[in-house]
Amino acid sequence: MKRNSFVSEYGALIALLLLFVINVATRGGSFLQVENLRNLVSQNAAVGVIAIGMTLVIIAGGIDLSVGSLTAMCGAAVILLVNSFAHSGMSPNMAILVAGLGAILIGAFAGLINGLVIAYGRVAAFIVTLAGLAGFRSIALVLGNGGEIRSEVSALQDFGFGGVPIPFAKDAAGNPVLFYWSAIVFIAIAVLAGFVLNKTRFGRYIIAVGANERAADYSGINTQTVRLTVYAILGSLVGSASMLVGARMNSIGTGSAGLYYELDAIAAVVIGGTSLRGGKGRIWGTVVGILLLTLISNMITAYRIDTNWQGLVRGIVILVAVLMQRGRKENE
Amino acid sequence: MPKLEVENIVMQFPAVRALDSVSMTFEPGEIHGIVGENGAGKSTLMKILSGVLHATSGTTLLDGNPVLLSGVRDALRRGIAMIHQELNLVDELTVAENVFLGREITKGGMLDGSEMVRQTNGFLAEIHASFSATEKVGNLSIAGKQLVEIAKAVSVDASILIMDEPTAVLSDPEADSLFELIARLKERRTTVLYISHRLTEVCTICDRITVLRDGAWITTVQAKDTNPSEIADLMVGRSLKDFFPSKAISPEAPPTLEVETDRGTGFSVRPGEILGLAGLVGAGRTELAETIVGARKSSSVRLKMAGRSHQLHSTKDAMKLGIAYVSEDRKRLGLHLSLNMVENVTLANLRSYGNFKLNARKELDSSTNWKKRLDVRVGDMNDPVLNISGGNQQKIAIAKWLETKPKVLILDEPTRGVDVGAKREIYNLIRELAIEGMACVVISSELPEIIGLCHRAIVMREGRIVGELQENELSEEAVMRLAAGVAAA
Repeated sequence: MKRNSFVSEYGALIALLLLFVINVATRGGSFLQVENLRNLVSQNAAVGVIAIGMTLVIIAGGIDLSVGSLTAMCGAAVILLVNSFAHSGMSPNMAILVAGLGAILIGAFAGLINGLVIAYGRVAAFIVTLAGLAGFRSIALVLGNGGEIRSEVSALQDFGFGGVPIPFAKDAAGNPVLFYWSAIVFIAIAVLAGFVLNKTRFGRYIIAVGANERAADYSGINTQTVRLTVYAILGSLVGSASMLVGARMNSIGTGSAGLYYELDAIAAVVIGGTSLRGGKGRIWGTVVGILLLTLISNMITAYRIDTNWQGLVRGIVILVAVLMQRGRKENE
Repeated sequence: MPKLEVENIVMQFPAVRALDSVSMTFEPGEIHGIVGENGAGKSTLMKILSGVLHATSGTTLLDGNPVLLSGVRDALRRGIAMIHQELNLVDELTVAENVFLGREITKGGMLDGSEMVRQTNGFLAEIHASFSATEKVGNLSIAGKQLVEIAKAVSVDASILIMDEPTAVLSDPEADSLFELIARLKERRTTVLYISHRLTEVCTICDRITVLRDGAWITTVQAKDTNPSEIADLMVGRSLKDFFPSKAISPEAPPTLEVETDRGTGFSVRPGEILGLAGLVGAGRTELAETIVGARKSSSVRLKMAGRSHQLHSTKDAMKLGIAYVSEDRKRLGLHLSLNMVENVTLANLRSYGNFKLNARKELDSSTNWKKRLDVRVGDMNDPVLNISGGNQQKIAIAKWLETKPKVLILDEPTRGVDVGAKREIYNLIRELAIEGMACVVISSELPEIIGLCHRAIVMREGRIVGELQENELSEEAVMRLAAGVAAA
């Protein structure tokens, strides 16, 4: 029973380490290359940032299906803002900064609307954000006339591929290997969210509301404000993520950007051991979940497996994770 | 031959041995009371007998044959039915649908609703229930729901019926009709295993009483040869004289809280006073309390704190004024079962532990203080409070509200589901708080509690306050007359 609860508690982490060892054993040097490891952390950084916010929403007893569409909507806004600021004579870097803040605000506002309808309108989160999933995508498509919006500011992509040089690491051409900004943002947000969840009053309220909303209400907690706020936080994180996506691609395909992000984010949260029933969860688990999903797709490429299998593998990983979580609940 | 027999039952959980080699026999048609403090192993034993848990070792004999119950369905098939403290009914379905849930009668692949209703009405008549099989369970009172559970047991022709604290949620007249029903079941040769904290009723209705303590069998006695105080002593393993603490002197200070309802009735409570709020279950006491603390929206109640009128919109408003409410529904409203003791104790007063970052050290210190002051027995304060006994949970719930430093403390059924030892500690605590100047309101369905603990009591009936009894007028008869609406004899 002891060992069993250890496996269900740390299952995702064990799986990640196991896959890591398998990769080292079979691919050796090419897997351990600094560029490859760096890519593992940064490849899904945008979804990772969203998954961190999703963890808070799920712990508070909610769900948000609209994040993928919101990524496209905020992303479209970012590119349009960057272009128009640059045209109006702003310096490229300034334009990127202001547009980024704009995306975060737009995301937060959209999250706020989700949260308002859920907390005060008393409509199920699933339904409200399902409406958002349809609605935000539609706004994105309108903004882009159904197609791609291209950035006319090349500095945007410089940001997307920029970062901090990793000490002593040189690529084949002898240039320093950069640790991308996107990965730095992902890690910073994870650390911050972990602090908020575990060390602050607001974090305790999130857990209390998710675990038992009525008992939280009886304890004098303004449960509606708590629920509203987690959706707004998630929205602002979606805004940040859209910035990372836009910078990376130097454009936003309004029909394709952020597609299935909601599923990937929720999958990472669940794999990481956060209960979909709310009231219990952990940020580090979500980070492990994201890394696990990234490593799996990385392997599928490396082992030259038909990428069409990727969805099935992910599905199996999600199911196994949930089955293990159930074991954990029974032990408690 | 005994109907049911257990031999050397051991139940080992990872951390504790819940049952240690327990052996007992149950005769056909016997009403067998099982008592013990919380954590004594009663619930574990009942869960084993009803197939919910599997014993680590030991044998169960049914009609003399060893049986291994594979689960609840298996136990039911063999005629063992259990009525849980938390009733397992679906509110949205009718009585008949609940009774036949999982064993629906079908005709040609389709549900045969009319047959199920016909049979259910038969069972209901057998147990003298006043409602019909087509009634929605959600519309029934708790007593009614319990009757549905019993009808369910009758419908499977259970020969062994296990009842866990059946009267905990019943008013006295409702409990009386339950006892009549149990007597009728006895006539049908049904064996009833009756778990209760209410020792008086155990001594009255049972044939034999078994006392468990710390997972071990202590004794089995004939009910007619014993009395509640002797049983209480056996349960705690020490003498439990003068159950209620002596009353503090009645105070004369101006009222802390004054409450007035639309009907012109109301009450007030002064600092240092313990005011009882009596009435039958469903009389509206909890609703009144919830309205006072702002948990229930209603404009029919006006309140004054220290002479000043206030309008409350939320529990937060009440907390700011210094009114705290310890709910009767500890598991759903009073505590967060998945959180640990520290998190529960500080939750209502979290502002004092930091505006953004929480001071973990301070949280731990203050929880440790409450643990000492209220003698909360938990192994590790970091474990979820889900698994600790009712008495200790209740102490944590009270600590949580004392944390907010209230001027008025409203305790709703403070000793429900609490063992004898903890009960006494809670009474002493309430008295101490009153002496320190807190105004206490105790809502209780247990008349001895109202009479033993309170300085004064108000009585409610059908949603309204129908009378007030001063200390010298307090008696079980006086309270019951007001609560039931019977004129004085």
